[in-house]
Amino acid sequence: MSIFLSTLLNSLQSYGYPALWLSIFVAAVGLPLPIGLVLLAAGAFAALGDFNVIVLALIATSASVAGDCLGYLIGRLLGSKPLEWLEQSRSGKRFISPRTVARSRLYFKRRGGWAIFLSRFLFSALGGIINLLSGIELFPFRYFLFCDIPGEAVGVVIPLALGFAFGASWEAVGDVLGAFSLFVVGLLLVIVLLIRLIRYMCSVQRVKTGHQLTEVQNVTDVAPIIDPPAPSSGHLPLS
Amino acid sequence: MSARIKLIGTGILLCLALGATIFCALQTVQAIQRFEESRNLATSGDVSTIGDWMTLPYIARVYHVPENYLDQWLHIRDRQSTRHTTLRALADQYNRPVDSLIHDIQRAIVTYRKQHTPHTGNTQHDKGQPPTGRKKP
Repeated sequence: MSIFLSTLLNSLQSYGYPALWLSIFVAAVGLPLPIGLVLLAAGAFAALGDFNVIVLALIATSASVAGDCLGYLIGRLLGSKPLEWLEQSRSGKRFISPRTVARSRLYFKRRGGWAIFLSRFLFSALGGIINLLSGIELFPFRYFLFCDIPGEAVGVVIPLALGFAFGASWEAVGDVLGAFSLFVVGLLLVIVLLIRLIRYMCSVQRVKTGHQLTEVQNVTDVAPIIDPPAPSSGHLPLS
Repeated sequence: MSARIKLIGTGILLCLALGATIFCALQTVQAIQRFEESRNLATSGDVSTIGDWMTLPYIARVYHVPENYLDQWLHIRDRQSTRHTTLRALADQYNRPVDSLIHDIQRAIVTYRKQHTPHTGNTQHDKGQPPTGRKKP
């Protein structure tokens, strides 16, 4: 176990709920802390009566949502300026074209809700970045909360329940969760790439058939000139 | 970029992603096996599952040993200040390696179990030395 995690667990035991709230809040803003493991351990402690599991769930969810809101606010207040610089300045345009920025903005507006929801429990490492991005992209705050709160609730309840159920084996449960979430990420990537591959194959096929069609058209256009005249017609074919 | 180059690039990325996914799937299976082993050890009360994140009251409840017994074995006088301290922090507090502290606790539990197993027939009572000032059964 890392010393970092051990320190967090020691503070959880020594100072109780306020320590848990603070560490989860800081992690939600963007500091990479092993909060999933802390929640698993908290669930294990709760199973033996050190904590109340419902209070733990409420405190952890509120801390996560508060941290996410702060991340969103930071993105909204400070983040739009670099994006404007990228879009408008000449040197910024060298890095990313305005068309790409506009396309990514549109994409985030369309799929941002899912990104916010899934990054709360499935890709939790991306949570802090997604919060900042949501603020930068001026994602509607109410919709942000609408996706954030259920996602955080799921992200808190799963490790707490597993820690509560499996007690002293929570470290092994943490390993399973970590490996499984990486597997899910890989699987999603495979699906996305497979869809892309099929699309490209279709477009290559379309281009091929298009070429064949134009070739056939050319042949049919040229054919009357090239074809020798029927011996019985007695005159040259005119196109 | 032509569609053919995109096709080849995506194909290569797909192969890499597929390989990584298979690797992650194997890791998940191994992690589940490790979890099952750890769960079996924990339910059987094996002392090797004691971790540096545990506190003395936690160990006392999980391994069914009186808290007093552990405190006396480890010569802890101030119980209140160490009640919510993990073994790692406790080891730091007493300037000793955490592994040696865990080993001590394991020995304490094993000794306690030897002393408190139900006896059948003419078997001798205790073979392990009780700690000084241990709780009287």
